[in-house]
Amino acid sequence: MNEERFFERLREDAQPLRFELDALMTTRIAAGVRGRVSGQPNVTGVLARWFRPLAASMAAVALASLLGMIWLDRQSAPAVDALASTSSPVEIAVAGDVYSVNP
Amino acid sequence: MRNSVTTAEGWLRPLWLGDLIADVNSEPAAPPARSDADPLERRAIARAKEGDPSSYGYLVSKYTKRVVSIAWGIVRNAHDAEDLAQEAFVRAYEKLPRFRSGEPFGPWIYRIVTNLSLDVVKHRTRFRHEELTPAEPAARRDNADLPAQTSEIARRIDAAVESLPRMQRVVARLHLVEQFDHAEIAQMTGISEGTVRSHLSLARKKLRKQLTDLYGGSDE
Repeated sequence: MNEERFFERLREDAQPLRFELDALMTTRIAAGVRGRVSGQPNVTGVLARWFRPLAASMAAVALASLLGMIWLDRQSAPAVDALASTSSPVEIAVAGDVYSVNP
Repeated sequence: MRNSVTTAEGWLRPLWLGDLIADVNSEPAAPPARSDADPLERRAIARAKEGDPSSYGYLVSKYTKRVVSIAWGIVRNAHDAEDLAQEAFVRAYEKLPRFRSGEPFGPWIYRIVTNLSLDVVKHRTRFRHEELTPAEPAARRDNADLPAQTSEIARRIDAAVESLPRMQRVVARLHLVEQFDHAEIAQMTGISEGTVRSHLSLARKKLRKQLTDLYGGSDE
């Protein structure tokens, strides 16, 4: 048998070696692909998926900053009052003379 | 909405197919397609590209059999072949926007599944190198998935092909079993046509040697 004939015969005889898939496998593949393909987001979805956590993080940072500023403001307010109260001398006028008293 | 069929295989069933056919028939001036392009296929690709995933079902149903067979021929395991086929279809869908309209879908999906399958085989080889002791078998042949009615001749051919080095085996299987020509195999595997011929020539010599008793050793 020559080379070409040998290979032709080989090709003919090898054809039954193709994998024969059953209906169940076909259905599983179709369902699997459909499930994954249908769940794929479009451009808007992808952008939303990126921006949502980003926006949430920025909102959290802004809220934390705001709360921090309020807290700092509250902490510093009595000190200013105290400073003001300590730095302003009390003036008392007695018989035409003015006396300054530091509390 | 057209995808109102919700059974397991509903998206491949008559209502949907009829819808596609109606679309093809009412298409005013379809662009000139390649002679081998199926109009339903072109329509399904166009729709899927527009973001209609239900249209993709036609392509899946048309190519599943061949895609699984190609994958199985390389990885030799039915479960892996099924997973690979599914993965190939999903990847093809993801890359559809880059797919040129009018081209047949077949060669493209065959190339994707071939590459995925070769990756699995390469990974297995690497894994075995790391994990197996010398006492264990160097190659695992999974013949359990061969069709029950496979003849003795076909089994002998299968064993001979499996004994070839990896790329010779892949090329030989694609040529002998899947009946692809050299150019198609080159496109699928990403190697040149010359290299395909070379692999095939080497494979042919080895197969001839191994199967001499099957076909007779001397020239007629």
